[in-house]
Amino acid sequence: MSRMTAAVSAVLLLVVAAAVAQAGLLGLLVLFTSILRLYLVIEIAGHYLQMSPLDVPSFLQVGIRNAGTIGSFVLTLASGLGAAAYRYRRWRPVS
Amino acid sequence: MKGLLRLYPRSWRKRYGAELEDLVDRTPGGVGVALDLVIGAAVAYRDVIGGNRILAAAGACLHGMSVAVLVQAIGFVTLILIAQRSENPTDLRLGPFDFATVTRSGYLLQGPELRSPVTVLPLIIQGWIPEAALLLVLTLALAAVLAAPRLLRGLR
Repeated sequence: MSRMTAAVSAVLLLVVAAAVAQAGLLGLLVLFTSILRLYLVIEIAGHYLQMSPLDVPSFLQVGIRNAGTIGSFVLTLASGLGAAAYRYRRWRPVS
Repeated sequence: MKGLLRLYPRSWRKRYGAELEDLVDRTPGGVGVALDLVIGAAVAYRDVIGGNRILAAAGACLHGMSVAVLVQAIGFVTLILIAQRSENPTDLRLGPFDFATVTRSGYLLQGPELRSPVTVLPLIIQGWIPEAALLLVLTLALAAVLAAPRLLRGLR
């Protein structure tokens, strides 16, 4: 039972860490929207998140589709999981 | 100055805290001492995290995610940089999956005076500068994140 709890906790922690990393990426995209004067539309499961600077017209329209949003989350999760697994397997006690 | 001692891990403070507090009391304060304490805290955390298999894996996980976020941000800016040169919409797709589309805004294409290369070209050239600067900053950040574990390992 404790093994099961540990496994569920690890998965939840991993998902929360990936969500926080994605929030950081979203923050960067908001910053880029402002600096590069973009009209950005992010699609998340049928909902749209639109961002554009108020005072200047946008030069480029960028649409991130569902596959892009999901792919980004999966890539972040896989990178974290891969790095953790690699470190866990190659860990040696500090001498 | 003593407040910086709180940056150290609790287990470390329990063992060496009083000793270090005494040392800080006897040392004249300054930026150098403060920097030493901050670097010392980073080294103490490195030792605590590196000595535990689970914590080491968790640290590597966060590091991997940071790298992934920066790589995606670099990819995003590169896509914008490539797409703004093209008059047609630029699609980022892999087989049936359409990840992103970049199109030039309509206002640049409306009216003969706006459509002329004389008007559009300076806008495109100006558009390169912030993107190239962003790309440079992101690449430097990625290099710093990638080098951080090695740099931390080298600290004593």
